[in-house]
Amino acid sequence: MAEPRLIDGRDMVPPEPLELTLAALDTLAPGEELRVLLYCQPHPLYSILDKNGYRYSTELRADGSNEILISKR
Amino acid sequence: MQPTLSFEQAPPISVPYRFFLTAPLFGVVAGLLLAWYGPEAMASRWSSGALAMTHLIVVDVMLQVMCGALLQFVAVAAGANIWRPLLVAAIVHPMITAGAVLLASAFVLELPVLFLMAALVFALALGFFLTVMMIALWRTPARGMTIVVLRLAVFGLGVTLALGVTLACTLGLQAGPPLTLINVHVAWGLGGWALMLVIGVSYLVVPMFQLTPAYPLWLTRVLPFALLLVLSLWSLQIFASGGEAQDWQVQVAQAGMLLAGFYAVATLVLQWRRRRRQTDVTFLFWRVAMLSLLAYAASWLLLDAIPELGRHPRAPLWLGVLVLPGVFLSVIIGMLYKIMPFLNWLHLQRISDPGMPPPNMKQMIPEGAMRGQMRLHFLAFGLLLMAVVWPPLALPAGLAFTASCLWLEWNLLGALWKYEYFRDLALTDQTRAAGAAHGP
Repeated sequence: MAEPRLIDGRDMVPPEPLELTLAALDTLAPGEELRVLLYCQPHPLYSILDKNGYRYSTELRADGSNEILISKR
Repeated sequence: MQPTLSFEQAPPISVPYRFFLTAPLFGVVAGLLLAWYGPEAMASRWSSGALAMTHLIVVDVMLQVMCGALLQFVAVAAGANIWRPLLVAAIVHPMITAGAVLLASAFVLELPVLFLMAALVFALALGFFLTVMMIALWRTPARGMTIVVLRLAVFGLGVTLALGVTLACTLGLQAGPPLTLINVHVAWGLGGWALMLVIGVSYLVVPMFQLTPAYPLWLTRVLPFALLLVLSLWSLQIFASGGEAQDWQVQVAQAGMLLAGFYAVATLVLQWRRRRRQTDVTFLFWRVAMLSLLAYAASWLLLDAIPELGRHPRAPLWLGVLVLPGVFLSVIIGMLYKIMPFLNWLHLQRISDPGMPPPNMKQMIPEGAMRGQMRLHFLAFGLLLMAVVWPPLALPAGLAFTASCLWLEWNLLGALWKYEYFRDLALTDQTRAAGAAHGP
Protein backbone atom coordinates (compact mmCIF):
# COMPACT_ATOMS: atom_id res chain seq x y z
CA MET A 1 0.00 0.00 0.00
CA ALA A 2 1.27 3.46 -0.89
CA GLU A 3 2.53 5.84 1.81
CA PRO A 4 -0.28 8.23 2.89
CA ARG A 5 -0.02 11.82 1.77
CA LEU A 6 1.20 14.02 4.65
CA ILE A 7 0.17 17.45 5.87
CA ASP A 8 2.36 18.52 8.77
CA GLY A 9 0.33 21.34 10.32
CA ARG A 10 2.29 21.48 13.58
CA ASP A 11 4.10 24.68 12.67
CA MET A 12 1.25 26.30 10.81
CA VAL A 13 -1.08 29.03 12.05
CA PRO A 14 -4.82 28.17 12.02
CA PRO A 15 -6.68 27.84 9.72
CA GLU A 16 -3.82 27.01 7.33
CA PRO A 17 -3.77 23.25 8.14
CA LEU A 18 -7.54 23.08 7.63
CA GLU A 19 -7.30 24.93 4.33
CA LEU A 20 -4.58 22.56 3.07
CA THR A 21 -6.47 19.49 4.28
CA LEU A 22 -9.69 20.55 2.53
CA ALA A 23 -7.73 21.16 -0.67
CA ALA A 24 -6.11 17.70 -0.39
CA LEU A 25 -9.48 16.00 0.17
CA ASP A 26 -10.62 17.24 -3.25
CA THR A 27 -7.97 15.09 -4.92
CA LEU A 28 -7.99 12.10 -2.54
CA ALA A 29 -8.46 8.91 -4.56
CA PRO A 30 -10.60 5.99 -3.26
CA GLY A 31 -8.39 3.83 -1.02
CA GLU A 32 -5.81 6.57 -0.61
CA GLU A 33 -5.01 7.90 2.90
CA LEU A 34 -4.25 11.43 4.05
CA ARG A 35 -2.14 11.87 7.20
CA VAL A 36 -2.44 15.16 9.14
CA LEU A 37 -0.23 16.14 12.09
CA LEU A 38 -1.50 18.79 14.52
CA TYR A 39 -0.99 19.90 18.14
CA CYS A 40 -4.74 20.43 18.68
CA GLN A 41 -7.88 18.36 18.11
CA PRO A 42 -9.35 19.77 14.85
CA HIS A 43 -13.07 19.72 15.67
CA PRO A 44 -14.06 21.78 12.61
CA LEU A 45 -12.29 19.27 10.38
CA TYR A 46 -14.01 16.33 12.12
CA SER A 47 -17.45 17.80 11.49
CA ILE A 48 -16.61 18.42 7.82
CA LEU A 49 -15.33 14.82 7.46
CA ASP A 50 -18.46 13.42 9.16
CA LYS A 51 -20.75 15.40 6.89
CA ASN A 52 -18.94 14.55 3.67
CA GLY A 53 -18.47 10.79 3.89
CA TYR A 54 -14.87 10.43 5.07
CA ARG A 55 -13.60 8.04 7.72
CA TYR A 56 -10.87 9.10 10.10
CA SER A 57 -8.96 7.97 13.16
CA THR A 58 -6.91 10.02 15.59
CA GLU A 59 -3.92 8.91 17.59
CA LEU A 60 -2.06 10.91 20.24
CA ARG A 61 1.69 10.74 19.60
CA ALA A 62 4.52 10.83 22.12
CA ASP A 63 5.42 14.46 21.24
CA GLY A 64 1.89 15.59 22.22
CA SER A 65 0.70 15.99 18.64
CA ASN A 66 -2.32 14.27 17.06
CA GLU A 67 -2.01 12.08 13.99
CA ILE A 68 -5.22 12.00 11.96
CA LEU A 69 -5.60 9.40 9.19
CA ILE A 70 -8.33 10.22 6.66
CA SER A 71 -9.76 8.16 3.79
CA LYS A 72 -12.95 8.00 1.73
CA ARG A 73 -15.74 5.86 3.17
CA MET B 1 -10.94 17.43 28.51
CA GLN B 2 -8.72 20.30 27.37
CA PRO B 3 -10.81 22.80 25.42
CA THR B 4 -10.00 23.01 21.74
CA LEU B 5 -11.80 25.01 19.09
CA SER B 6 -15.24 23.62 18.29
CA PHE B 7 -17.00 25.65 15.63
CA GLU B 8 -20.33 23.90 15.75
CA GLN B 9 -21.34 26.26 18.55
CA ALA B 10 -20.22 29.48 16.85
CA PRO B 11 -22.89 32.20 17.19
CA PRO B 12 -23.99 34.23 14.13
CA ILE B 13 -21.25 36.55 12.91
CA SER B 14 -23.28 39.67 13.72
CA VAL B 15 -23.13 38.84 17.46
CA PRO B 16 -19.44 39.64 18.02
CA TYR B 17 -19.13 42.08 15.08
CA ARG B 18 -21.64 44.62 16.43
CA PHE B 19 -19.49 44.98 19.57
CA PHE B 20 -16.17 45.02 17.65
CA LEU B 21 -17.28 47.70 15.20
CA THR B 22 -18.66 50.04 17.88
CA ALA B 23 -15.59 50.02 20.15
CA PRO B 24 -13.05 52.00 18.04
CA LEU B 25 -15.58 54.81 17.53
CA PHE B 26 -15.47 55.53 21.26
CA GLY B 27 -11.68 55.45 21.11
CA VAL B 28 -12.03 58.30 18.58
CA VAL B 29 -14.21 60.21 21.07
CA ALA B 30 -11.67 59.59 23.87
CA GLY B 31 -8.82 60.92 21.70
CA LEU B 32 -10.80 64.01 20.68
CA LEU B 33 -11.70 64.64 24.30
CA LEU B 34 -8.02 64.58 25.25
CA ALA B 35 -7.17 66.95 22.39
CA TRP B 36 -10.03 69.26 23.49
CA TYR B 37 -9.05 69.33 27.18
CA GLY B 38 -5.33 69.51 26.36
CA PRO B 39 -2.85 69.74 29.28
CA GLU B 40 -5.74 70.25 31.73
CA ALA B 41 -6.69 66.57 31.34
CA MET B 42 -3.20 65.63 32.50
CA ALA B 43 -3.46 67.61 35.78
CA SER B 44 -4.38 64.54 37.84
CA ARG B 45 -6.41 61.32 37.70
CA TRP B 46 -9.35 63.20 39.27
CA SER B 47 -9.72 65.80 36.49
CA SER B 48 -13.02 65.58 34.56
CA GLY B 49 -11.12 64.97 31.33
CA ALA B 50 -9.01 62.13 32.76
CA LEU B 51 -12.02 60.45 34.38
CA ALA B 52 -14.17 60.73 31.24
CA MET B 53 -11.34 59.43 29.01
CA THR B 54 -10.54 56.55 31.34
CA HIS B 55 -14.16 55.40 31.36
CA LEU B 56 -14.50 55.87 27.60
CA ILE B 57 -11.56 53.50 27.16
CA VAL B 58 -12.40 50.90 29.82
CA VAL B 59 -16.16 50.76 29.24
CA ASP B 60 -16.78 51.94 25.68
CA VAL B 61 -13.76 50.35 24.04
CA MET B 62 -12.52 47.51 26.28
CA LEU B 63 -15.83 46.29 27.68
CA GLN B 64 -17.49 46.41 24.24
CA VAL B 65 -14.82 44.23 22.63
CA MET B 66 -14.46 41.91 25.62
CA CYS B 67 -18.22 41.25 25.80
CA GLY B 68 -18.36 40.51 22.06
CA ALA B 69 -15.25 38.33 22.21
CA LEU B 70 -16.54 36.49 25.27
CA LEU B 71 -19.82 35.62 23.51
CA GLN B 72 -17.75 34.18 20.66
CA PHE B 73 -14.94 32.60 22.66
CA VAL B 74 -17.11 30.94 25.32
CA ALA B 75 -19.19 29.28 22.61
CA VAL B 76 -16.30 28.25 20.37
CA ALA B 77 -13.43 27.49 22.73
CA ALA B 78 -15.40 26.28 25.71
CA GLY B 79 -18.07 24.52 23.67
CA ALA B 80 -20.61 26.28 25.92
CA ASN B 81 -24.18 26.79 24.80
CA ILE B 82 -25.08 30.46 25.11
CA TRP B 83 -28.79 31.13 25.50
CA ARG B 84 -30.09 32.93 22.36
CA PRO B 85 -26.88 34.84 21.51
CA LEU B 86 -28.61 37.07 18.92
CA LEU B 87 -31.12 38.26 21.51
CA VAL B 88 -28.46 38.68 24.22
CA ALA B 89 -26.32 40.80 21.87
CA ALA B 90 -29.37 42.82 20.72
CA ILE B 91 -30.15 43.71 24.36
CA VAL B 92 -26.67 44.06 25.88
CA HIS B 93 -24.89 45.92 23.06
CA PRO B 94 -27.15 49.01 22.82
CA MET B 95 -27.54 49.14 26.59
CA ILE B 96 -23.83 49.14 27.44
CA THR B 97 -23.28 51.66 24.63
CA ALA B 98 -25.94 53.94 26.13
CA GLY B 99 -24.62 53.36 29.67
CA ALA B 100 -21.10 54.25 28.61
CA VAL B 101 -22.25 57.46 26.89
CA LEU B 102 -24.18 58.40 30.04
CA LEU B 103 -21.18 57.70 32.27
CA ALA B 104 -18.68 59.65 30.16
CA SER B 105 -21.17 62.53 29.86
CA ALA B 106 -21.68 62.47 33.63
CA PHE B 107 -17.94 63.01 34.16
CA VAL B 108 -17.64 65.72 31.49
CA LEU B 109 -20.79 67.65 32.44
CA GLU B 110 -20.59 66.80 36.17
CA LEU B 111 -24.33 66.12 36.23
CA PRO B 112 -25.28 63.83 39.17
CA VAL B 113 -28.48 62.54 37.55
CA LEU B 114 -26.45 61.07 34.67
CA PHE B 115 -24.45 58.95 37.15
CA LEU B 116 -27.70 57.49 38.49
CA MET B 117 -28.97 56.76 34.97
CA ALA B 118 -25.65 55.13 33.98
CA ALA B 119 -25.72 53.00 37.15
CA LEU B 120 -29.22 51.74 36.36
CA VAL B 121 -28.46 50.93 32.71
CA PHE B 122 -25.21 49.11 33.56
CA ALA B 123 -26.80 47.16 36.41
CA LEU B 124 -29.54 45.88 34.09
CA ALA B 125 -27.39 45.24 30.98
CA LEU B 126 -24.37 43.68 32.64
CA GLY B 127 -26.46 41.87 35.23
CA PHE B 128 -28.27 40.14 32.37
CA PHE B 129 -25.04 39.49 30.44
CA LEU B 130 -23.32 38.03 33.51
CA THR B 131 -26.26 35.72 34.25
CA VAL B 132 -26.22 34.34 30.70
CA MET B 133 -22.43 33.88 30.77
CA MET B 134 -22.37 32.21 34.19
CA ILE B 135 -25.03 29.69 33.15
CA ALA B 136 -23.17 28.91 29.90
CA LEU B 137 -19.79 28.54 31.64
CA TRP B 138 -21.16 26.34 34.42
CA ARG B 139 -23.04 24.01 32.09
CA THR B 140 -20.22 23.40 29.61
CA PRO B 141 -18.85 19.86 29.64
CA ALA B 142 -15.37 21.19 28.76
CA ARG B 143 -12.71 21.19 31.48
CA GLY B 144 -9.29 22.75 31.83
CA MET B 145 -7.79 25.95 33.20
CA THR B 146 -9.08 28.20 30.40
CA ILE B 147 -12.66 27.48 31.51
CA VAL B 148 -11.78 28.00 35.19
CA VAL B 149 -10.10 31.34 34.46
CA LEU B 150 -12.98 32.50 32.25
CA ARG B 151 -15.35 31.81 35.17
CA LEU B 152 -13.09 33.83 37.48
CA ALA B 153 -13.00 36.70 34.96
CA VAL B 154 -16.79 36.76 34.70
CA PHE B 155 -16.95 36.79 38.51
CA GLY B 156 -14.42 39.67 38.46
CA LEU B 157 -16.66 41.63 36.09
CA GLY B 158 -19.55 41.05 38.51
CA VAL B 159 -17.56 42.49 41.45
CA THR B 160 -16.40 45.45 39.31
CA LEU B 161 -19.98 46.11 38.28
CA ALA B 162 -21.32 45.98 41.86
CA LEU B 163 -18.62 48.40 43.07
CA GLY B 164 -18.99 50.66 40.00
CA VAL B 165 -22.76 50.91 40.45
CA THR B 166 -22.25 51.76 44.14
CA LEU B 167 -19.72 54.47 43.21
CA ALA B 168 -21.96 55.93 40.50
CA CYS B 169 -24.85 56.05 43.00
CA THR B 170 -22.73 57.87 45.61
CA LEU B 171 -21.71 60.41 42.93
CA GLY B 172 -25.34 60.68 41.79
CA LEU B 173 -26.43 61.38 45.34
CA GLN B 174 -23.57 63.88 45.64
CA ALA B 175 -21.85 62.02 48.47
CA GLY B 176 -18.06 61.81 48.17
CA PRO B 177 -17.15 58.16 47.51
CA PRO B 178 -14.43 56.79 49.84
CA LEU B 179 -11.03 56.35 48.22
CA THR B 180 -10.86 52.74 49.42
CA LEU B 181 -13.96 51.85 47.40
CA ILE B 182 -12.41 53.43 44.28
CA ASN B 183 -9.15 51.52 44.90
CA VAL B 184 -11.00 48.21 45.10
CA HIS B 185 -13.19 48.98 42.04
CA VAL B 186 -10.11 49.80 39.93
CA ALA B 187 -8.26 46.65 41.12
CA TRP B 188 -11.16 44.33 40.25
CA GLY B 189 -11.77 46.04 36.92
CA LEU B 190 -8.16 45.86 35.80
CA GLY B 191 -6.98 42.71 37.62
CA GLY B 192 -10.06 40.60 38.33
CA TRP B 193 -11.82 41.20 35.03
CA ALA B 194 -9.50 42.51 32.27
CA LEU B 195 -6.20 40.82 33.21
CA MET B 196 -7.95 37.61 34.28
CA LEU B 197 -9.69 37.43 30.89
CA VAL B 198 -6.42 38.08 29.04
CA ILE B 199 -4.74 35.32 31.09
CA GLY B 200 -7.53 32.79 30.41
CA VAL B 201 -7.62 33.55 26.70
CA SER B 202 -3.82 33.55 26.40
CA TYR B 203 -3.58 29.95 27.66
CA LEU B 204 -5.27 28.93 24.41
CA VAL B 205 -4.48 31.59 21.81
CA VAL B 206 -0.78 32.29 22.49
CA PRO B 207 0.37 28.70 21.77
CA MET B 208 -2.17 28.27 18.96
CA PHE B 209 -1.69 31.47 16.97
CA GLN B 210 1.90 32.36 17.87
CA LEU B 211 3.20 28.76 17.67
CA THR B 212 4.81 28.90 21.11
CA PRO B 213 5.13 26.05 23.61
CA ALA B 214 2.17 25.76 26.02
CA TYR B 215 2.22 27.70 29.33
CA PRO B 216 3.61 25.40 32.09
CA LEU B 217 0.73 23.55 33.76
CA TRP B 218 1.70 24.67 37.29
CA LEU B 219 1.70 28.32 36.17
CA THR B 220 -1.75 28.03 34.59
CA ARG B 221 -3.06 26.68 37.92
CA VAL B 222 -1.25 28.93 40.40
CA LEU B 223 -1.46 32.33 38.67
CA PRO B 224 -5.25 32.94 38.57
CA PHE B 225 -5.82 31.80 42.14
CA ALA B 226 -2.87 33.83 43.44
CA LEU B 227 -4.36 36.86 41.65
CA LEU B 228 -7.74 36.13 43.21
CA LEU B 229 -6.14 35.92 46.68
CA VAL B 230 -4.36 39.26 46.19
CA LEU B 231 -7.59 40.92 45.05
CA SER B 232 -9.50 39.50 48.03
CA LEU B 233 -6.89 40.78 50.52
CA TRP B 234 -6.79 44.17 48.76
CA SER B 235 -10.60 44.36 49.05
CA LEU B 236 -10.45 44.19 52.86
CA GLN B 237 -9.67 47.93 52.88
CA ILE B 238 -13.38 48.58 52.25
CA PHE B 239 -13.98 47.63 55.87
CA ALA B 240 -11.19 49.85 57.22
CA SER B 241 -12.33 52.66 59.50
CA GLY B 242 -11.97 56.21 58.15
CA GLY B 243 -11.79 55.08 54.50
CA GLU B 244 -7.98 54.66 54.68
CA ALA B 245 -6.11 51.60 53.44
CA GLN B 246 -4.01 49.72 56.03
CA ASP B 247 -0.21 49.83 55.79
CA TRP B 248 0.04 46.09 55.08
CA GLN B 249 -2.07 46.52 51.96
CA VAL B 250 0.89 48.24 50.31
CA GLN B 251 2.59 44.83 50.38
CA VAL B 252 -0.56 43.16 49.00
CA ALA B 253 -0.50 45.51 46.01
CA GLN B 254 3.21 44.83 45.53
CA ALA B 255 2.52 41.09 45.50
CA GLY B 256 -0.11 41.72 42.81
CA MET B 257 2.44 43.64 40.74
CA LEU B 258 4.96 40.81 41.07
CA LEU B 259 2.32 38.37 39.81
CA ALA B 260 1.45 40.59 36.84
CA GLY B 261 5.15 41.03 36.03
CA PHE B 262 5.71 37.29 36.32
CA TYR B 263 2.89 36.56 33.85
CA ALA B 264 4.34 39.13 31.43
CA VAL B 265 7.81 37.55 31.63
CA ALA B 266 6.37 34.03 31.19
CA THR B 267 4.53 35.13 28.03
CA LEU B 268 7.60 36.92 26.65
CA VAL B 269 9.70 33.79 27.25
CA LEU B 270 7.13 31.66 25.40
CA GLN B 271 7.18 34.12 22.51
CA TRP B 272 10.97 33.94 22.44
CA ARG B 273 10.75 30.11 22.26
CA ARG B 274 8.20 30.08 19.42
CA ARG B 275 8.58 27.37 16.82
CA ARG B 276 8.34 29.59 13.76
CA ARG B 277 10.35 32.82 13.52
CA GLN B 278 7.48 34.75 12.01
CA THR B 279 6.27 38.01 13.52
CA ASP B 280 2.78 39.02 12.47
CA VAL B 281 0.95 42.04 13.92
CA THR B 282 -0.83 39.99 16.59
CA PHE B 283 2.54 38.73 17.84
CA LEU B 284 3.93 42.29 17.98
CA PHE B 285 0.83 43.67 19.73
CA TRP B 286 1.16 40.93 22.38
CA ARG B 287 4.85 41.62 22.80
CA VAL B 288 4.30 45.35 23.37
CA ALA B 289 1.40 44.56 25.71
CA MET B 290 3.55 42.25 27.83
CA LEU B 291 6.45 44.76 27.90
CA SER B 292 3.95 47.42 28.98
CA LEU B 293 2.62 45.13 31.71
CA LEU B 294 6.17 44.60 32.92
CA ALA B 295 6.79 48.38 32.83
CA TYR B 296 3.50 48.94 34.72
CA ALA B 297 4.49 46.52 37.50
CA ALA B 298 8.03 47.96 37.70
CA SER B 299 6.70 51.55 37.77
CA TRP B 300 4.29 50.71 40.59
CA LEU B 301 7.10 49.20 42.67
CA LEU B 302 9.38 52.16 41.90
CA LEU B 303 6.69 54.70 42.86
CA ASP B 304 6.25 52.81 46.15
CA ALA B 305 10.01 52.85 46.75
CA ILE B 306 10.36 56.61 46.06
CA PRO B 307 7.43 58.23 47.96
CA GLU B 308 8.11 61.78 46.71
CA LEU B 309 7.66 60.46 43.14
CA GLY B 310 4.71 58.25 44.12
CA ARG B 311 2.84 61.24 45.61
CA HIS B 312 3.09 63.26 42.36
CA PRO B 313 -0.45 63.96 41.05
CA ARG B 314 0.47 62.66 37.60
CA ALA B 315 1.99 59.37 38.85
CA PRO B 316 -1.36 57.49 38.59
CA LEU B 317 -1.76 58.81 35.02
CA TRP B 318 1.59 57.26 34.08
CA LEU B 319 0.33 53.91 35.39
CA GLY B 320 -3.03 54.41 33.64
CA VAL B 321 -1.45 55.05 30.24
CA LEU B 322 0.83 52.02 30.60
CA VAL B 323 -2.02 49.68 31.49
CA LEU B 324 -4.89 50.94 29.28
CA PRO B 325 -3.50 51.82 25.83
CA GLY B 326 -0.25 49.93 26.54
CA VAL B 327 -1.44 46.58 27.85
CA PHE B 328 -5.14 46.11 27.20
CA LEU B 329 -5.73 48.04 23.98
CA SER B 330 -2.64 46.44 22.45
CA VAL B 331 -3.89 42.93 23.26
CA ILE B 332 -7.41 43.82 22.09
CA ILE B 333 -6.33 45.26 18.73
CA GLY B 334 -3.89 42.38 18.17
CA MET B 335 -6.67 39.87 18.84
CA LEU B 336 -9.21 41.73 16.66
CA TYR B 337 -6.78 41.40 13.75
CA LYS B 338 -6.78 37.63 14.30
CA ILE B 339 -10.41 37.08 15.27
CA MET B 340 -12.16 38.98 12.47
CA PRO B 341 -10.25 37.40 9.56
CA PHE B 342 -10.69 33.99 11.26
CA LEU B 343 -14.45 34.43 11.73
CA ASN B 344 -14.82 35.73 8.16
CA TRP B 345 -13.04 32.68 6.82
CA LEU B 346 -14.93 30.30 9.09
CA HIS B 347 -18.41 31.59 8.22
CA LEU B 348 -17.59 31.81 4.49
CA GLN B 349 -16.13 28.33 4.52
CA ARG B 350 -19.49 27.00 5.77
CA ILE B 351 -21.50 28.48 2.92
CA SER B 352 -18.96 28.20 0.11
CA ASP B 353 -19.29 25.76 -2.74
CA PRO B 354 -16.61 22.99 -2.46
CA GLY B 355 -15.29 24.00 -5.89
CA MET B 356 -14.97 27.64 -4.87
CA PRO B 357 -13.26 27.91 -1.47
CA PRO B 358 -13.41 31.19 0.50
CA PRO B 359 -10.48 33.61 0.19
CA ASN B 360 -7.45 33.00 2.36
CA MET B 361 -7.61 34.43 5.90
CA LYS B 362 -4.66 36.70 5.10
CA GLN B 363 -6.70 38.43 2.39
CA MET B 364 -9.38 39.66 4.81
CA ILE B 365 -7.45 42.73 6.10
CA PRO B 366 -4.40 43.91 4.13
CA GLU B 367 -1.18 43.26 6.06
CA GLY B 368 0.12 46.76 5.23
CA ALA B 369 -3.01 48.40 6.69
CA MET B 370 -2.69 46.40 9.92
CA ARG B 371 1.01 47.23 10.28
CA GLY B 372 0.40 50.93 9.55
CA GLN B 373 -2.35 51.12 12.18
CA MET B 374 -0.16 49.21 14.64
CA ARG B 375 2.68 51.74 14.24
CA LEU B 376 0.23 54.60 14.74
CA HIS B 377 -1.13 52.96 17.90
CA PHE B 378 2.39 52.58 19.28
CA LEU B 379 3.16 56.22 18.36
CA ALA B 380 -0.02 57.39 20.15
CA PHE B 381 0.92 55.26 23.17
CA GLY B 382 4.41 56.81 23.26
CA LEU B 383 3.00 60.34 22.94
CA LEU B 384 0.50 59.65 25.74
CA LEU B 385 3.34 58.56 28.02
CA MET B 386 5.34 61.64 27.11
CA ALA B 387 2.27 63.86 27.69
CA VAL B 388 2.16 62.62 31.30
CA VAL B 389 5.71 63.90 31.74
CA TRP B 390 5.17 67.06 29.65
CA PRO B 391 1.41 67.89 29.47
CA PRO B 392 1.57 70.26 26.43
CA LEU B 393 1.93 67.07 24.36
CA ALA B 394 -1.66 66.15 25.28
CA LEU B 395 -2.99 67.70 22.05
CA PRO B 396 -0.80 65.71 19.60
CA ALA B 397 -1.23 62.60 21.76
CA GLY B 398 -5.02 62.94 21.61
CA LEU B 399 -4.98 63.50 17.86
CA ALA B 400 -2.65 60.53 17.26
CA PHE B 401 -4.90 58.31 19.39
CA THR B 402 -7.95 59.53 17.43
CA ALA B 403 -6.26 58.76 14.12
CA SER B 404 -5.20 55.30 15.32
CA CYS B 405 -8.76 54.41 16.38
CA LEU B 406 -10.18 55.74 13.10
CA TRP B 407 -7.74 53.59 11.14
CA LEU B 408 -8.64 50.57 13.26
CA GLU B 409 -12.35 51.14 12.51
CA TRP B 410 -11.57 51.43 8.80
CA ASN B 411 -9.60 48.16 8.84
CA LEU B 412 -12.39 46.33 10.69
CA LEU B 413 -15.05 47.74 8.34
CA GLY B 414 -12.92 46.54 5.42
CA ALA B 415 -13.02 43.01 6.88
CA LEU B 416 -16.79 43.22 7.26
CA TRP B 417 -17.27 44.44 3.67
CA LYS B 418 -15.04 41.63 2.41
CA TYR B 419 -17.15 39.11 4.30
CA GLU B 420 -20.37 40.55 2.85
CA TYR B 421 -18.95 40.58 -0.69
CA PHE B 422 -17.86 36.91 -0.64
CA ARG B 423 -21.02 35.83 1.22
CA ASP B 424 -23.20 37.42 -1.47
CA LEU B 425 -21.04 35.83 -4.16
CA ALA B 426 -21.43 32.36 -2.59
CA LEU B 427 -25.18 32.77 -2.12
CA THR B 428 -25.64 33.96 -5.72
CA ASP B 429 -23.72 30.91 -6.93
CA GLN B 430 -25.90 28.61 -4.84
CA THR B 431 -29.08 30.24 -6.17
CA ARG B 432 -27.80 29.91 -9.74
CA ALA B 433 -26.86 26.25 -9.19
CA ALA B 434 -30.27 25.50 -7.65
CA GLY B 435 -31.98 27.25 -10.58
CA ALA B 436 -29.99 25.22 -13.09
CA ALA B 437 -30.82 21.96 -11.26
CA HIS B 438 -34.56 22.71 -11.36
CA GLY B 439 -34.48 24.25 -14.83
CA PRO B 440 -36.39 22.97 -17.87
